[in-house]
Amino acid sequence: MTVSDARIARIPGAAARTLLAIAGAMAVGAVVLALAGLPLASTFVSIAEGAVGSSFAIREWLTEAAPITLTALGVAVAFRAGLFNLGGEGQIYIGALGGVMIALTLTSLPGAVLIIVASLAGMIAAGMWGGIAGVLRARLGLSEIITTIMLNFSAFWLVSYLVHGPIEDPHGTRYPWTEEIVARAQLGSVGGVLPIVAIVLAGVTVVVWAVLERTGVGLRIKHCGLSQTASRFAGVRVGGVVLLAMVLAGSLAGLGGVMSLLGDQHRLSDFFAPEWGFVAVAIALIGRGTALGTLAAGLFIAAVRSGVDQAQATAHVPSSVAEILLGAVVLFMIIANADVVMRYARRVSVSGLFTTRRHAGIP
Amino acid sequence: MQEFLEILGSAALYAAAVRLLVPLLFAAIGEIFAERAGLVNVGLEAMMLMGAFGGVLGAVDTGSAVLGLIIGVACGVTVAAIQAAIAINLGGNQIVSGIALNIAVLGLTSFLALTIWRNGNVPPVPGFGILDLPALASIPFLGTVLFRQTVFVYVAIIAVPVAWWAMTRTTWGLRLRACGEDPRAVDSLGIPVLGLRWQTMLIAGALAGLGGVFISLADVMTFSNDISAGRGFIALAVVIIARWSPVKAVFAALLFGGLEALALRLQTTNLHLPTDLLLALPYVATLLVYAGVVGRTVAPAALGRSYTRA
Repeated sequence: MTVSDARIARIPGAAARTLLAIAGAMAVGAVVLALAGLPLASTFVSIAEGAVGSSFAIREWLTEAAPITLTALGVAVAFRAGLFNLGGEGQIYIGALGGVMIALTLTSLPGAVLIIVASLAGMIAAGMWGGIAGVLRARLGLSEIITTIMLNFSAFWLVSYLVHGPIEDPHGTRYPWTEEIVARAQLGSVGGVLPIVAIVLAGVTVVVWAVLERTGVGLRIKHCGLSQTASRFAGVRVGGVVLLAMVLAGSLAGLGGVMSLLGDQHRLSDFFAPEWGFVAVAIALIGRGTALGTLAAGLFIAAVRSGVDQAQATAHVPSSVAEILLGAVVLFMIIANADVVMRYARRVSVSGLFTTRRHAGIP
Repeated sequence: MQEFLEILGSAALYAAAVRLLVPLLFAAIGEIFAERAGLVNVGLEAMMLMGAFGGVLGAVDTGSAVLGLIIGVACGVTVAAIQAAIAINLGGNQIVSGIALNIAVLGLTSFLALTIWRNGNVPPVPGFGILDLPALASIPFLGTVLFRQTVFVYVAIIAVPVAWWAMTRTTWGLRLRACGEDPRAVDSLGIPVLGLRWQTMLIAGALAGLGGVFISLADVMTFSNDISAGRGFIALAVVIIARWSPVKAVFAALLFGGLEALALRLQTTNLHLPTDLLLALPYVATLLVYAGVVGRTVAPAALGRSYTRA
């Protein structure tokens, strides 16, 4: 598995294949919309207008793009280390939980300091949460595909418990959620168009790119992704890299959760990130595990999601169309890359992922 | 404490546990066939969800729960066919295609539910009622737990030994297990590897679909978005904990189903327990047990590996 996936990032005509897959998914989307009896041309226009048709639409789009793309960057880092981080959703909730605890308690801090401390708290909390799956993989060889799913549900019920009681808004509002965070900690936008969370996303993308492509840590991560055996012979501490990759993945998703909290939700609830973890996995796959590719894919997918959301009101487009499109893009990408994948397919096995051994052969 | 012990000793708790474990067990048994043949199927969740949807659609449109069941299973098989084509014929990454199917089917089912039943108001569903087994149902305790259930539970009780027999005592079972260990050797004997793998994936789709139908037509009696609620992923964990054995899968599924039944039952008591935290218990316990089987599971050697002659 790890061999083929890492190499898919460098196959000939990669961008053209991705565009082909998107075109195929669009065709599926058109069929779905036609089946629902919606006029095609005007519906597509409504979706496009809903995504980028006004400064309000652009702000909504970028505000939605930031958390899921940050999470997707985390998935991409894990992906390059040969790991499938399906735990984005749980890591987002834990990150937002860490952020909201700071934002609700240290209210005397000045705005900028409060925002930075809340972000760090969210990243540390979610990094540790992701690290659980990392330790279980590195020390016991447990598949992160299974452990991150279990951690998702655990995180969800933990947050659900907290917002239904211990940290519920004491002023009794309509929903089980926390109080609103102080205005100083809320992230607005520049000129009503460019949300600050989008600037954070751009900055973090550059950092992730630099770490993956320009540092020794990034090299070791990619080395492990290509071949753990070769990495071990080259003296790389594979277990340490696996743990690091999962901690980074968790903290990036956690930052995504904090950005959603500070830039959009302003309260912690247990329903603000439905399926975001899986959406992030799809985005990282469409972006082929590179930082810039993931950013592009995240912006595109967020535009579709936010466009469809807006068109739900204006043109009665069900919001689930966005998920159908997203799933279809990934399926078509597999098909569009089938010729290349086949060349590596025989060497690739996931048996190791589901075989549990002590230390899993990792020194 | 008194109340807690009463709950622990009540047949109703174990009957509920059986209801919660049955969909997991169906999906897990199907997945065991697929994984034993070398296919990893993260799209199990999609197949359950599609089955749950198809079951309700069929039952509402035909007015017959049995026809609904058939349509639901067919829906699960359809999703499995997509996964099989990608994983077996195109050599695509099986985990990636499973994740993509999960997202697509989640969107598709909620889209269809919204379009077909305006605003998602599902009409009353003709579901499966309780079917008391004569004589057996009157056994104290055990009768209530196992034999005052829907027909699905009885099918599950039969399915476990049948799956065990098919996998370990038939030529077909031997061949499919060989496909999961060394497909090249199987191919060298002139046995069609891809055909066998297709069969197991369709079985996985049918059984996952059946599990989904159980949820929608025999347990909840309606369809709502994401009604399978991650059961497909739990079933993946059940398969590993059960070490790819249909018999052990019963106990692995019981661990999850039993704890979930307990958590749900404790919600309705006056014990003032943090009920949402209790609902995390089945997941935490599954994680701990998974960590506990370390050193004792060996996956089929060719799991997730596509087979080509080249």
